Amino acid sequence: MTVALETRGLTKTFGGLTAVNAVDLSIQEHSIFSVIGPNGSGKTTFYNCITGFYEPDSGEILFFEKPMTGLPPDQVTARGISRTYQNIRLFANMSAIENILVGEHSRMRANWFEAILLTPRVVREEKAAVEKARQLLSFVGLAGLGDQQARNLPYGAQRRLEIARALASQPTMLLLDEPTAGMNPNETHEMTLFIRRLRDELGITIMLIEHDMRVVMGISERIAVLDYGAKIAEGTPAEIQGNPHVIEAYLGSGAASGIKPVARQLE
Amino acid sequence: MKTLFRNSLKTGIVFGIITVFLFLIGFTGTAANLLADLLHNESAGLFLGLTPLMLNTAIFLGLIGLWAGVSGASREQDIPGDPFGAAALGGAIAGVAHGLPVGAAVWLIGGLNEQGVAMSTYLAELLPAAVHQFLLGLAPMTAGIFYLLFLTTAGAAGGLLNRVLGRGSRKTRAAIRNRLRESVESLPVLQSLRKSTAGRYAVYGVLLAGLLLLPLVAGQYWNYTIGTVGIYVLLGLGLNIVVGLAGLLDLGYVAFFAIGAYAMALLTAPTPHHLMWNFWLVIPIGIVLAAVTGILLGAPVLRMRGDYLAIVTLGFGEIIRILSKSDDLSDFTGGPRGVPAVAPPDFFGLPINNAIGFVYLIFLAVLLVIFVTNRLQNSRVGRAWEAMREDETVSRAMGINTLLQKLLAFAIGAAFAGLGGALFASRNQFTGPEDFNLMVSINVVAVVIVGGMGSIPGVIAGALVLKGLPEMLRQLEDYRVMVFGALLVVMMLWRPAGLIPSSRRKMEIGRDAGLVETAEEGRGK
Repeated sequence: MTVALETRGLTKTFGGLTAVNAVDLSIQEHSIFSVIGPNGSGKTTFYNCITGFYEPDSGEILFFEKPMTGLPPDQVTARGISRTYQNIRLFANMSAIENILVGEHSRMRANWFEAILLTPRVVREEKAAVEKARQLLSFVGLAGLGDQQARNLPYGAQRRLEIARALASQPTMLLLDEPTAGMNPNETHEMTLFIRRLRDELGITIMLIEHDMRVVMGISERIAVLDYGAKIAEGTPAEIQGNPHVIEAYLGSGAASGIKPVARQLE
Repeated sequence: MKTLFRNSLKTGIVFGIITVFLFLIGFTGTAANLLADLLHNESAGLFLGLTPLMLNTAIFLGLIGLWAGVSGASREQDIPGDPFGAAALGGAIAGVAHGLPVGAAVWLIGGLNEQGVAMSTYLAELLPAAVHQFLLGLAPMTAGIFYLLFLTTAGAAGGLLNRVLGRGSRKTRAAIRNRLRESVESLPVLQSLRKSTAGRYAVYGVLLAGLLLLPLVAGQYWNYTIGTVGIYVLLGLGLNIVVGLAGLLDLGYVAFFAIGAYAMALLTAPTPHHLMWNFWLVIPIGIVLAAVTGILLGAPVLRMRGDYLAIVTLGFGEIIRILSKSDDLSDFTGGPRGVPAVAPPDFFGLPINNAIGFVYLIFLAVLLVIFVTNRLQNSRVGRAWEAMREDETVSRAMGINTLLQKLLAFAIGAAFAGLGGALFASRNQFTGPEDFNLMVSINVVAVVIVGGMGSIPGVIAGALVLKGLPEMLRQLEDYRVMVFGALLVVMMLWRPAGLIPSSRRKMEIGRDAGLVETAEEGRGK
């Protein structure tokens, strides 16, 4: 198995606050990897470092063994990493299908001059892009809603559209930021199945930030736990559930000793 | 019944205050002039012993009174049994509330006027003659009572009119509107036009033929106005790319207009450089110069977002104007006196220096720019611009090189302005610094916003409304700014997205990957 994404000593500080503190991770290709941690533990900052929104202060990011530390976001996308956002960030006034077409931007070539001339190549490219966007729409279960404005779609559909948009750039790795936030148990279950399909059918490596422990424990192969920016634990779901450091991070010191037996009983 | 009284009363009072205000600022006189021009009813007043302007003042007041009655009655929704009686009553109540302040004002001001108080010292428009006209030549008290009765009657008539128009309730209104639209849309002619490509082209053909014939029948003055509107359409379409699509608020857009105009002027005029190049050679030079300036300006400032960008571009627009005005540069730019004798274009040796030829030239430029905009808007580039406008951060994460795309939008927008400027200078046969003040930038921004951001038909409508309408309402010259402000406010309430908002193309279920579909069609479905 090859390593898809690797970080070595990744650190990001804001003034005196170390948001991400020397994080080492390595994520296997075709795996589902979750990052968990209490609020403010640096998960989203970690994502922002990987996707080029922030430049890390030190450390390295390798994607399929090629360094990509400090690349701007558009280049990161071109390399094959795509992401979704904690609070949905669709292009609200554009139609669903246009959102996906924007996602295909980095895979299309037409420049302004060709676009004005409407060369046969541009026509072909555009046709293929729209066809692919339609396929992605039906893949995420939004067939027939393509001409709706993104902002008019129901919440769950917006989440799925955001994933479709991320998929449009043909990523080899997808970073999901709380994909089930604000969903009811039923929708959450569907999303869990959907994430697994992404990996099984499209072969995409998935990294996931998630607070819903049922989702995390249900679909992750490995889990890393961040607390105050530092990685405090990594392992399989079973290992993480029993890890006293993790329980301490979530429930406070002191709780760990008492909770531990309870946690065992639950298993 | 209580609410009927209260709402009608409120409406009437509002109308009363507005009418008195219009009288005080002299608008009633202007409106009477306008009506006299429109109706040509000079002889009708003589029977009543009124001058034409007095008659038209009364007509104007009557129309306002009708309007007050219509809105006064429409507040009341359902009265069982006697809808007409209730509507008339509601209208009459609004009319009384309307007539009382107007009558009182007439009595008071007419009285003061008779005493010889020079009210025009305080309110410039209240000249004795204007007051006399508003009083219809009657004594102050008679006139006051006349207006009270007149507006009450007009209000009652307005109330009845309200019912006749079916404006009584929102529901019936909507139903009537829907029925109308359905019956129009189901006309077999329209159906077949929409379905067949040939039919659609026939409609375009008719429109185009109309456009082509228009300059021949319009006079010199109107052709000049049409040309001005056309140049504003060019500017609007250019800024539409920058503001409407890419979401970059550029308040110094006039700079690129000026560069196009000065390129045309300096290269074709005999002074100050004596180059006298050919018009057709200079047009592309003007376009390219403007685009290059757009890139040069954009490269450092496009990293800024929103308000900051607006301020920096505002400054840039002023810098260009002040430079062109500068005495130190007057050997190069012609200085404050500008550049006279800019060359007209020639058509196979024949100079085009009449208004008709220029209108055609501007039409051609507008069509070209619409074509280019349309192609760009529906391409990968246009989508990237719109994505940047919606969410710049995310669009970067989607693989869009935002700096590059912003520069492109800036350059293409500037190129359109350069084209507009070159045509402008050549048509006026003159260019000077005062053609390029801040108001031009503001006007173009207003054209884009009033018309509808990101919408080509919107920009055309915006230019027609903001540049054409004031010309049609020459009588309102003094009130242009007031009407303009009122229009903006009304529009923001009534059509917050602009006169003709941009519509999204249907792509998912469209034929041929949606490439041949136009925005109009998408809306029709």
